[in-house]
Amino acid sequence: MRKTYRILAYVVAAEVVVQAIAIAWFVAGLGNWVTGGGVLDNAAIESDDMAFPELYGLIVHGINGSIVVPVIALALLIVAFFAKIPGGIKWAVIVLVLTVLQGQLGYLGHDYPAAGGVHGLNALALFTVALVAARRAPAREPRPAEAATVGNG
Amino acid sequence: MAAGVATAAIVGPIGYLWQDSLLPDTYSAMTMGYADTGGGPSHREHGGGRPVSELTVAAGRRADVSMTMVARFEGGRYTINGTTPGPPVLAARGDLVEVKLVNDNVPAGVTLHWHGVDVPNAMDGVAGVTQDAVMPGESFVYRFRADRTGTYWYHSHQISHEQVIKGLFGAVVIGGARTDTTALVHLYSGGKHTVNGVAADLPVAAAAGAKVRLRIVNTDSGPMDAWTGGPYRLLAVDGTDVHDPAPITGRSVRITAGGRADLEVTAPARVQLGGSPSIVVGTGAPAVGRPSAVVDLLAYGKASPVALGPVTRTFRYDIGRRLGFVDGRPGNWWTVNGHMLPDLPMFEVSAGDVVRMRISNDSGEVHPMHLHGHHMLVLARDGVAATGSPWWVDSLNVADHETYEVEFVADNPGIWSDHCHNLKHAKEGLVVHLMYDGIATPYVIGGRNAPE
Repeated sequence: MRKTYRILAYVVAAEVVVQAIAIAWFVAGLGNWVTGGGVLDNAAIESDDMAFPELYGLIVHGINGSIVVPVIALALLIVAFFAKIPGGIKWAVIVLVLTVLQGQLGYLGHDYPAAGGVHGLNALALFTVALVAARRAPAREPRPAEAATVGNG
Repeated sequence: MAAGVATAAIVGPIGYLWQDSLLPDTYSAMTMGYADTGGGPSHREHGGGRPVSELTVAAGRRADVSMTMVARFEGGRYTINGTTPGPPVLAARGDLVEVKLVNDNVPAGVTLHWHGVDVPNAMDGVAGVTQDAVMPGESFVYRFRADRTGTYWYHSHQISHEQVIKGLFGAVVIGGARTDTTALVHLYSGGKHTVNGVAADLPVAAAAGAKVRLRIVNTDSGPMDAWTGGPYRLLAVDGTDVHDPAPITGRSVRITAGGRADLEVTAPARVQLGGSPSIVVGTGAPAVGRPSAVVDLLAYGKASPVALGPVTRTFRYDIGRRLGFVDGRPGNWWTVNGHMLPDLPMFEVSAGDVVRMRISNDSGEVHPMHLHGHHMLVLARDGVAATGSPWWVDSLNVADHETYEVEFVADNPGIWSDHCHNLKHAKEGLVVHLMYDGIATPYVIGGRNAPE
């Protein structure tokens, strides 16, 4: 269980990295497409169409952010209940809260662009917290003798 | 033990919400959601009543305009009689129009919806509500009276998001003049902005000084601005003439998704259409940047009295967004009055009702709201009353944080969709229905029918 906790927390951190790469890739592709004569207007935004391949970055970002990361964060919390890691539940709750906040900031950015900026900042906070959580869990399962000590700590 | 309880406390409610959101394989529009009577008398039990299929124009009369439209899927496009856009339906006021839709090879089926034309309910073309989708080898005959002049359009209302973006649409002009130009603005899947299916400026021959009426149709899923350098007039909105329209300079006209605007320009003029190609009337007019100001239709044209009579039902149509499940899929979904698909309100009306509706949007995105079978009179926006020409719409651009008050007369019995014309949003559940007393539908959504 501790190992699972550690892995899930690292996966959350890795997902933040994937999200950053995906969205930056999309923005670069958008700039490249517009430079080549592509026209971005509301009709284009509302179209599902793959006008340029970097749009997959946006799709990955959306699916990852709205479904995959929240599911992992939730799984982390559930694993925390069983893993008996000191502060494990607390850090899993923080990961989950920042994940939900991150999604809401993302949607809010459509309405208030400044929220999009905070979305970028919160990503770094989530990345850090996920690493902290991962490092709370020992890399190997403790031997029975030390398990009691750690479990009470 | 505690860990198990904590897990159950998280997984249990999520699991319940998930399974509660699952849609049955097929369901009737009549049993969807919950009844909202708007303060009027409640309907009797649904299920009985006159079937929508009987709500047609009188049989026997010979059609004045008769067309056959063959729908095909070819080369990644949906075509009608081999072209996209399909052929225009051109009728004089009062004509009986008859269109035979034939599905040649569209596997998922097709229908035709006459956007903005207040047809009898059986002719409305909504798969699963007013008819079954027309499958390959089948046909369906649409008949309606062209009783109001104006600019309209037709499009598929089966898997509408995909079929419209890939080309299954065309123009309907009632009472047009030979010198008018119709411009269907469309972004095809593949990234090409087009006017009348061509990714290049639309030339219109006109001598300098000549006045030309341009009938502009926004067939996309988001609002579009149209503007031109010289003075121009907005003659009609959604098919209804503006009363005494004044010349416009330095402002653009916003046309919402599904909406239409008729502009009168004096040659030479270059009418620009969002990020799409332009309409070039005559020669020599330069391109100009988009004006930042938009014509406010609340105050455009001269007022003229409209009496719809005392209001008999009042509804609210509040659009929001929240996390949850729709048909088992997690996401940040649209809500109507706080409810998500399928738990949406069913607006119950009786023939003759005068209906007041408040449409408000706090969902973070714009919604082009389209009511089938009726035209709505805009009374106010954000508490500011309309002072211009009576502003009649079938497609209303409701921006984020806007609230509109509209009124309409329930004079066309049937079951009518009232939905967002960002067809992606409609697919995601931003669709409610207006249901008349004593009417029933024998059709079901699901199975072959996916109106979206």
